Amino acid sequence: MKAANKQQILLGNEAIARGLIEAGLHFMTAYPGTPSSEILPAVVRFGAELKQPPYCEWSVNEKAALETALAAAYTGKRAACAMKQVGLNVALDPVMSAAYIGVVGGFIIISADDPGPHSSQTEQDSRLLAHFAKLPVFDPDSPAQARDLIAPAFALSEKYQIPVMLRPTLRVCHARQDITLGKPLLLKRPANFQRDPFRWAAIPKMRLALHHKLNGKLAAIAQDVAADPALNIWHRQPLARKAPLGILSSGVAAALARDVLAELGLDVEDGPLPFLQTAVPYPLPLAPIQRLLASCSRVLVLEETEPVLELLSPQRERLWGRHSGHVPSAGELTPDALYEVLERALKEAKVKTPRPRGRLLTVPDQAPPRRPNLCAGCAHRAAFFAMRRVFPRGIYPGDIGCYTLGLNQGAVDTCHDMGASVTFAAALSRVYQLDGQAQPVVATIGDSTFFHSGTTGLINAVHNGARFVLLILDNQTTSMTGMQPTPETGLTADGHPGHRVDLLELVKGCGVGQIEQADPYDLPGFFKVLRRAKRHVAKPEGGVAVVIARHACVAKDRGLAIPRQIPVEVLAAARPAPPVFSPQVAACADCGRCVAICPVGALKRTGKGRVKVDKKKCLSCRLCAAVCPTGTMVLEPAGGCTACGLCGAWFACPGLARSADGHVSIDRSWCVDCGLCPHVCQQGAIVAQETPTPASQPA
Amino acid sequence: MKAASNKNLRWQAVVAGVGGQGVLFVTRMLALGAQAAGGRVLISEVHGMAQRGGSVISHLKIGDFAGPLVAMGQADLLLSLDPGEAVRNLGFLRPGGAAVVNAPGPEFLSPEARTAVAAHQVRLVCLDAAGLARAAGAAKGVNLALLAGAAASGVLPFGAAQLKQVVLGASPASRQQVNQRLWQAGNEAV
Repeated sequence: MKAANKQQILLGNEAIARGLIEAGLHFMTAYPGTPSSEILPAVVRFGAELKQPPYCEWSVNEKAALETALAAAYTGKRAACAMKQVGLNVALDPVMSAAYIGVVGGFIIISADDPGPHSSQTEQDSRLLAHFAKLPVFDPDSPAQARDLIAPAFALSEKYQIPVMLRPTLRVCHARQDITLGKPLLLKRPANFQRDPFRWAAIPKMRLALHHKLNGKLAAIAQDVAADPALNIWHRQPLARKAPLGILSSGVAAALARDVLAELGLDVEDGPLPFLQTAVPYPLPLAPIQRLLASCSRVLVLEETEPVLELLSPQRERLWGRHSGHVPSAGELTPDALYEVLERALKEAKVKTPRPRGRLLTVPDQAPPRRPNLCAGCAHRAAFFAMRRVFPRGIYPGDIGCYTLGLNQGAVDTCHDMGASVTFAAALSRVYQLDGQAQPVVATIGDSTFFHSGTTGLINAVHNGARFVLLILDNQTTSMTGMQPTPETGLTADGHPGHRVDLLELVKGCGVGQIEQADPYDLPGFFKVLRRAKRHVAKPEGGVAVVIARHACVAKDRGLAIPRQIPVEVLAAARPAPPVFSPQVAACADCGRCVAICPVGALKRTGKGRVKVDKKKCLSCRLCAAVCPTGTMVLEPAGGCTACGLCGAWFACPGLARSADGHVSIDRSWCVDCGLCPHVCQQGAIVAQETPTPASQPA
Repeated sequence: MKAASNKNLRWQAVVAGVGGQGVLFVTRMLALGAQAAGGRVLISEVHGMAQRGGSVISHLKIGDFAGPLVAMGQADLLLSLDPGEAVRNLGFLRPGGAAVVNAPGPEFLSPEARTAVAAHQVRLVCLDAAGLARAAGAAKGVNLALLAGAAASGVLPFGAAQLKQVVLGASPASRQQVNQRLWQAGNEAV
């Protein structure tokens, strides 16, 4: 389909992709991560307009992605690599050397930042890492500017044989804007790797020479950038008289500040404030910034998230920004944050605001924002419930993906970085073991995250004799970021032929002694699998046990995830009653299972083969009676909802609504008839519906 | 009804709801409507974690704007698919703005909140879009029913017929009939 010259509303990530295709991209790699994930699929889509579309791959992690694209650029091809900002940390090793050694074909590293943060572990500023690695960095303010910066970025990269970074923030990536499409460019560039071991395999002595050369390149690039009016945008040129305040800015903050100034009645183009936006914060274009400084008494620096322009600029004592306390040092520069910053700066500089912001509508009864949750029918929810039941006193290191939302079920105790569930589990079980205690530890990690960073930690754990259960939540896709295929599917980003990598075989190859694959939708069966894993970990010759919880993602394919719809209903409430410890009914085995599983700690062992029930604490959830192997703990199922709260605390399904008094009903706008909750309720209150109402239709 | 000249059009809206309700779809429809009416468009969307049932808002700015976010006190319209999310986001409205909310009536607001809303001269349009969608046999079509209601109540900078055309143009063949029904239900309820 020919799309050139057509106006389209593009997502920022699509605009970046369009820029790449209009600049002759040959080779692209990426690992998905919010807010960068939509770039690569859009490159595939736009690339189809070319006779010879670029090669595109989802790599298994950012380091693999970066090295793969980098080596393509060694041969003269135009290459790019996209990731989220914390992915850049994973890729930092090759990035550092890439600046020294350089490239032949243009190479753009796209690292998408997340000030806020909205969907990340940190608010880190990739521009600082670009500075650290000595790479030029482009900082777009909008989808349109991001598209327009790609061609100059490739040109600069090739002129100086240096990789460059494009650093969009979430408000660029996930903004949409009307953009006039340009023509896709097919660049004829046959692969041409010029053997040069003194460069491509440089020894440390040569690296020093390369470092000197790199410094020379950066100085020349700073000159080039300073001389390019397209990269240094004067929204308001310096005035004849010295202005009390000027603005130096880059990225989305520059765009939003212009809108806020306009709303305050200060016309940006004809107003009293000189305003310079630089599209390349590093290497710093010195001349225009010196011109701005000479024309203003004070300069307010607006940038996200760290003070990069501020640190690199001369005359720092005349800057207002993070060091002077005028700009907050954490959080996104939203329009509201900018209102506060600008109102204060304008007041201190004695610049009048013709239209100050009026009174805001404040409403008293605001509830806290709703927390995200796993989808109704998600198999992870079932796996987490089973884990809590079988390991009620476990420590649960978690990982990064949808399943971090196991937090809602009390099933995630730590979440750090990609793959840390595995290493944390090894360490946590080890320290208790060193103290002579057997502390159960169950780590959870998704399939894509396991391929990304799980194997290294697992090999380390097996080799060093760690003892824990690793639950791999395998839904055969990368759900959180938009269903990108994993190596297990054998599918590739652009449809080039690939091969399946078998997860079970991979785990086996890591040396794990106990591996089982099971479907968490079969909850009773899944309990048994987890119990076998538990026994393996405790055995003298035991070690790491891996359970692969395999079930299709309900958000990706509801039909596959829920092959048989089981509409359920909640039976009317019965009176709650605490369980009764009845040694006269059966002999207590003093196993402690009931005490361990009680969600509120209402049970206590007396040490004399008896268990005491604290009736004040007891919720009457019946878990103790359900796990009692001898029948000493007696509580007949109430046959109706007793508002015990177990399903809310351990299952947390959006389809189970709770009234103010704690009673549960089915919320049909969320329920997908997965039929799992009857296995959760111990009172027999949630049952398959006798006369099903029509199932809710997907929108 | 056709917008006469859009050169000077500056219009800002916030669409609120819960992840999975179709906030992004509504925002895109409004953007396409604005584009058809000749306006320049900037949107900010929420992807990732919050889409899993969490609070979701998107921003829409039509006209000569540079950045994609709406400031508190600047929105002409708050369109909310959920009453609780409406309460949380009323602060975006400028004095004299409009709020179109999926709620049978204004009871989702406390008496104090209702007073504050009235004092801010906000035009509050309540529409039981959930009920309408259920009656139309598409319980998850709340977003379309509410959008149709907003168009019919005249709070948009372009005409209802124009927007309807955009919505149906963006609907797949399998959803044409259902979306027609939803549109009509929302349109007639105002």
